[in-house]
Amino acid sequence: MKFNVVSPENTKELLELISVNQDRYFRFGAGYTDLLIELKKQPDEDLTVINLAQLTDDIFTAISKIADGFRIGSLVTAKRISLSKDLQSNYSVLTEAAKKLASGQVRQVATIGGNICTASPAGDMACALVALQANCEILNSNGTLRIIPITDFFTGVRTTVLQKDEVLRSIVIPSNNRKNKIYSNFIKIGTRRAMECSIVSLAYHILTDEKSIITHAGIALGSVAPTIMLAKSACDYLLGKSFSSLNPSEIKEFSQKILEYASPISDIRASAWYRTEVLGNVAKSIFEN
Amino acid sequence: MKKDLKVIGKPTPKLDARIRASGQAVYGQDVVLPNMLHGAILRTKYPVADIVSIDVSKAMQLPGVVAVITGDDINANNINYKRDNPVLKRGRVNCIRDEIAAVAAVTREIAQEAVKLIEVKYNVKEGIFDPFEALKDDAPQINEFVKGDQHINIAHPFYYEHGDIEAQKRKSAVIIKTRFELPRMTHCCLAPCAITADYSNVDKRLTLYCVTQIPFLFQRDMARVLNMAPSDIRIIQTVIGGGFGSKLDMYPYEPICALLSMETGRPVQITFDREEEFIASPTRQKMTIDLTSGADSKGKFTFREARIIMDNGAYTSWGATTPFVMMQTFSSMYQLPACIFDAKAVYTNNVYAGSFRGYGNPQATFAVERNIDLLAEKLGMDKFEIRLKNANYKDELTGQEMKFISCGHKEALEIVSDKSGYSPCHSREGGNLSNRYKRGIGFASMLHVGGGAKIYPSDGCGTNLKMDDFGKLTIITGSSEIGQGSETVLAMMASEELGIDLKNIKVINTDTDIKPWDVGVHASRTTFVAGNSLLGALKLLKEKLSNKAAQLLKTEIDDLVYEDGLIESTTSGESFKIDKVVREIHFKPPNELCAVYYYYEPGSEFQDKYYKGNVSDTYAFAAQAIEVEVDTYTGNIKVLDIHVAQDVGKVINPLGLAGQIEGGVVMGMGYALLEELYSEKGYILNPNFHDYKIPTSVDIPNIHFYPVETNDPYGPYGAKGVGEAPLIPTAPAIANAIVDAIGIRIVDLPITPEKVLKALKNDA
Ligand SMILES: Cc1cc2nc3c(=O)[nH]c(=O)nc-3n(C[C@H](O)[C@H](O)[C@H](O)COP(=O)(O)OP(=O)(O)OC[C@H]3O[C@@H](n4cnc5c(N)ncnc54)[C@H](O)[C@@H]3O)c2cc1C
Repeated sequence: MKFNVVSPENTKELLELISVNQDRYFRFGAGYTDLLIELKKQPDEDLTVINLAQLTDDIFTAISKIADGFRIGSLVTAKRISLSKDLQSNYSVLTEAAKKLASGQVRQVATIGGNICTASPAGDMACALVALQANCEILNSNGTLRIIPITDFFTGVRTTVLQKDEVLRSIVIPSNNRKNKIYSNFIKIGTRRAMECSIVSLAYHILTDEKSIITHAGIALGSVAPTIMLAKSACDYLLGKSFSSLNPSEIKEFSQKILEYASPISDIRASAWYRTEVLGNVAKSIFEN
Repeated sequence: MKKDLKVIGKPTPKLDARIRASGQAVYGQDVVLPNMLHGAILRTKYPVADIVSIDVSKAMQLPGVVAVITGDDINANNINYKRDNPVLKRGRVNCIRDEIAAVAAVTREIAQEAVKLIEVKYNVKEGIFDPFEALKDDAPQINEFVKGDQHINIAHPFYYEHGDIEAQKRKSAVIIKTRFELPRMTHCCLAPCAITADYSNVDKRLTLYCVTQIPFLFQRDMARVLNMAPSDIRIIQTVIGGGFGSKLDMYPYEPICALLSMETGRPVQITFDREEEFIASPTRQKMTIDLTSGADSKGKFTFREARIIMDNGAYTSWGATTPFVMMQTFSSMYQLPACIFDAKAVYTNNVYAGSFRGYGNPQATFAVERNIDLLAEKLGMDKFEIRLKNANYKDELTGQEMKFISCGHKEALEIVSDKSGYSPCHSREGGNLSNRYKRGIGFASMLHVGGGAKIYPSDGCGTNLKMDDFGKLTIITGSSEIGQGSETVLAMMASEELGIDLKNIKVINTDTDIKPWDVGVHASRTTFVAGNSLLGALKLLKEKLSNKAAQLLKTEIDDLVYEDGLIESTTSGESFKIDKVVREIHFKPPNELCAVYYYYEPGSEFQDKYYKGNVSDTYAFAAQAIEVEVDTYTGNIKVLDIHVAQDVGKVINPLGLAGQIEGGVVMGMGYALLEELYSEKGYILNPNFHDYKIPTSVDIPNIHFYPVETNDPYGPYGAKGVGEAPLIPTAPAIANAIVDAIGIRIVDLPITPEKVLKALKNDA
């Protein structure tokens, strides 16, 4: 594993380096917890890594409150997300996902941008962001920004809409508007409690009004399809229903709708049967306490 | 006269804790010698194939490559227990671990690059991966070096019996027959394998910096493999980052490294990366156990009949002799009138198994303890009562003729039952929290040798002591430190006896040119055997010191006490510093050094050809009670509390002991719930920590440890072996707890969430 590293310190330098390297094989590196493992498996090539970790611009590195929600720079680490009180009180699905990612050591360096751009169906923070229906703010080498919903970001296992001259700059999470009670959590299924790649994950972010009626629902599924899935029809099914008084047959129907989005595979970690079974079970558990 | 102990029993940090924690410890990977080369090994691409040709020319041409060797270039004998494993394979390969060629180069990277340039033509063959297939009449011979009148694919058969099994069957009110399947598990030593070989063309001697846990047997074996004289081989053990039994055998990489050094006349180092460690280091035996157990109407056990097929893999390591330990559990754990034990290690084309902490006992105990719960259930008896009723007792002579000179089995059972808050009505329904989460408690015991194990012509250990003119003691012990804390325990004993501070004691234990003989680290024997050896030597040293001190203090030897660096007369209150006494011996007539040596041989016996006899001076007993919570939505098991009561004879170092207990229990948890080296058609599917899962720190439950001190008459200060024990009952206790919680059938390990969910679904 050999490569050159270049370390831009601000957006301008970054964009220049992206331009300069357009004809070469290059990769971005942030926390390197995915990249190094991937590169280890590849034959040595003439590779340049554009190291994002030295960027100092707030837009890449900060969590900030904005008019219509929160913006999170792509370089924000899982550790910082897990500690953010603002995010915890508004979007605990994301902070819980960050807390359940890998281990203390990995969380210290793993970035949210890396979690999204690696485009794994098992990405924990990415799954939470799908449930939150976040938007990705993408910068190209000319400095042009395009914004696309995260639900459109993933095109397959480890593939995204990012072009070669684009970098993920930040993520925007829409505000919860008139929230009353928020039911927001991340359910991660694995065989142990740390250093675990999700066998199945389910992220939900459900808002209700004063009368406990569901006004918004975002539910995303990880590790059960080639990409993280937003379970749209299951979300829609909940709208207008009372969170606290769903009856068993409604819960069952809800869980059926969730399962429509699952097309899991069998691998060394779990069989497709197990993934489906567990997903159905934990989907129901959202409404139990 | 019993005197108060000042050091023994006090929590004492390991002597090597600081150098380990600060990164100064020299592990195998850290060894650097002048002019050193790096070696790398080409392993086969296919588990089973004929080797048609090997072309090393491209590898030889790579700049930086100094030597490339294949099986045709070397003059070396086969290794391992049955001498059935060629160091470099010729003509054919038998499992995915097989070594075909090796390179020495100026850097590790170049060596690895060169290995890729070696071109091998294979004629790929079908293999046999199921031992039951290998046992068929028409099965082809897997290992060409096997001889004997057994079936060609049986590496090692064992048969044992005692009592009248038919009569006991007739007496039985219930009989339970179960087939258990136990998986391949691997050690996961934090430090992967490493060796540095330094052969001198000038004096024709070989020095090996290596990680063996049996240096003297290793030296002898290496000599045989390389056609050298054992005394021309010097073994220096580096700091060892985990043994757990894996370093009881020799592996091909070790003689390969020596051969590369002999070929080049330069030092050569071979280190494994993690993937190679997973593929090329041994595993616990995968086995199928058919166990039939009986009990009479009052719940007294009547008989056990165990028939076992072990997957030996392609070569035979010490691991094939694990039935030796397993049969002790089947024959003698809990009182038992009759037993039949039949085990066969069978060749397959899988990776070969080795020795592993517990040495077959985790498998045997799993089967015995699962069946006990089934017997109790069928009898309608409480599962704690039935265990207590059959528990081993002091002075018991078992059917296998093991003598339990001290025994804390009953006490251990009572403690864990009490501390876990177990009551019969707690079971099943009582423990249910909700529809989703169910709790249960499970019990298991264990019996293991605790005073060495006489399987080699000597089970002894030598100690040399010298006290210098400044009162500092050097203990030169035959025993080895592999992380278990043995050198600390030895230093504590010397500190206790001589009344000198621990910081005035050094332990030298890594060099076969210096240290006296010891059979090695196995059978949880080091504290017991090396401890007794040290106490013997200390007695001699004290005789020397006391004679002189009595003369100086004008008193009797019996009047002397050793305390705070002084030798004191209790009657006059006068004293001399211990170093002063040494100088008096050294610099005044008779002008002697304050040095002694002692060799200790335990009083244990060889078993006869029927495997009967008191193979160990004493035995260790333990019981565990474990509470689990099962998530019936996901099948996940949360281990809540583990209560461990273990007969350790006497606590020497509470800190080291806690480390052994916790480490062992966690290893047992991994065996119960997570760990399996998956193999398909001879290929290893999960040779990495991503897919081979061991428990992480956040998975660790509350571990409550209650030492049972039976003060063994033969043990040093009454201590017995503790190292392997804590792992052994954990898996069956967890399994029994899960069954208690949700009533599923468990006959195999690991108990994965998927298996649990499937069982729940099938039962529903
Ligand atoms: C031991 C271990 C355990 C793990 N456990 C988990 C887990 O539990 N849950 C989980 O979700 N993940 C887990 N991971 C995966 C990984 O830690 C996460 O995906 C992490 O968030 C990746 O972030 P990073 O900063 O390290 O990314 P990097 O490795 O630096 O980059 C990942 C990919 O994204 C690209 N990239 C990074 N930043 C940008 C950007 N701003 N714009 C465009 N492309 C970019 C890189 O080129 C690369 O392809 C684990 C990894 C390890 C090693």
